[in-house]
Amino acid sequence: MTVIVVGAGLAGLTAATALAAEGIEVTVLEARDRVGGRTQGIEVAPGQWADAGAAYLGERHTELKALITRLGLATAPTTMTGQSRFAVSSATESVDGRFPPLNAIALGEMFELLDELTKSVRADAPWLTPDAERLDRLTAAEWAESNLHHPDARTFFPLFLGEMMAADPADVSVLHMAFYLSSGGGIRYLNAFKGGAQEDRVDGGAHRLSELLAAKLGDRVRLSEPVTLVEQTGDGVKVRTGTGVYEGSRVVIAVPPLLADSIDYSPALPAPRSSNVTARGCAVKVHLVYPKPLWRDHGLSGWSVSADGPLLSTVDDSPPGGVGVLTGFVTGAEARTFAALSEADQRAAVLAQARGLFPQLPDPIGYHVTDWVNADYSRGCYAALFGPGDWLRNGPHLTRPHERVHWAGTETSTEFFGLLEGAIRSGHRAAAEITSAVR
Amino acid sequence: MPADRIVDGIIDIFRRVLETDGVHADSDFFETGGDSLLATRVLSAIVRDHGTELTIAEFIESPTPSTLAKRIESVTR
Repeated sequence: MTVIVVGAGLAGLTAATALAAEGIEVTVLEARDRVGGRTQGIEVAPGQWADAGAAYLGERHTELKALITRLGLATAPTTMTGQSRFAVSSATESVDGRFPPLNAIALGEMFELLDELTKSVRADAPWLTPDAERLDRLTAAEWAESNLHHPDARTFFPLFLGEMMAADPADVSVLHMAFYLSSGGGIRYLNAFKGGAQEDRVDGGAHRLSELLAAKLGDRVRLSEPVTLVEQTGDGVKVRTGTGVYEGSRVVIAVPPLLADSIDYSPALPAPRSSNVTARGCAVKVHLVYPKPLWRDHGLSGWSVSADGPLLSTVDDSPPGGVGVLTGFVTGAEARTFAALSEADQRAAVLAQARGLFPQLPDPIGYHVTDWVNADYSRGCYAALFGPGDWLRNGPHLTRPHERVHWAGTETSTEFFGLLEGAIRSGHRAAAEITSAVR
Repeated sequence: MPADRIVDGIIDIFRRVLETDGVHADSDFFETGGDSLLATRVLSAIVRDHGTELTIAEFIESPTPSTLAKRIESVTR
């Protein structure tokens, strides 16, 4: 039998590798001219790489850590020593640690409420959460409007949600927000660098995972093959691309929900993967390259948070012992605004903000912008944002096979949804479905 | 509120926020898995239970249930 895997991101390549290891023939069809999906490397200096897409991992990401070891890759710790820079009130100031100079009690109240919501959600099946209907109807923005009263909490909430899940609060249901935070290990784990989900990076870039998996699969991976139709016949599946038709006995669709819905299915799917309120994850990543991590000489960590964009936060993503790299996160509503600017206007806005945040630093010697919002073959990053009604209507169908069509992708993992770890777990699950079905 | 009741109340807050039973009167919050995000939750719980508003800086200077209780006592006295 042959299994056709659609999408050569981490989920699809994990599924294909697991199937191949069982002696099953696989063909991986990738729309882009590269593998890696929402991971992508940027060569910031000869032989030195930064992550233009997904980047971070922590101790609990056990499948990812095992894969890194298996592929002979190493991790590099994120560094967070020195003072942070904050532009969240009238002045830009340096502060010890990572916590913003806002009313701590007001933020504490907000985190207490968010923690309560996070603990109330059934992460394995969000639609079965007590009170799911109400939580799925309400947007996070509406929730904030009625629950957050202190101006500092109102300032910080969208920044927090942007950082955690690249969401504009108006785009996600309360159920999705609570699910996402729970799925990722809770607010503290998701937010933390040391001891949390941002503890390490893949040395050389997270895209290396997919490149090495694809190299082992060799010519079973076909690039520049966007899939347009998945047709199930009596005993098999025909997958049509721009250039031809691939035949197999089963197919794994390992692309984000919004992209999966751009493929035609025959017979049609019993429920869509997304809806008109499913939003693209709103992230643009900006990399500023310096001769070395110059901010460290000034006692700064490189971490900053700003209430106004485009760079809502920056973090030190310098390759170990190499050039200095500050990664700027443009997320949520700010990402859409920024993505719509001309390249010259983007650059001017970024440089002006970097000068304000880090007046000690010269202008960067390198500058890269990666727009995931408008990436045709991702349609958003970190992950799809489920709006009101999405979980109750589409959630139960996300992993359920449609006869010989199986589903993978980080959005089909209720564990570590939206993260590299979720992608890998989804690939293993889809492969296991197939191997147990054919035995 | 008697001093030991305040200490007990803060131990309960620590246990809930840190999600561990391994908290005693002299446990240092930041050495028991606490960070600044979780510290804000403790501060808001102290306001709720004791009506005392402390700053993050005060918390960092008094990071155990017994030292925090002393601060609360000195403010409310």
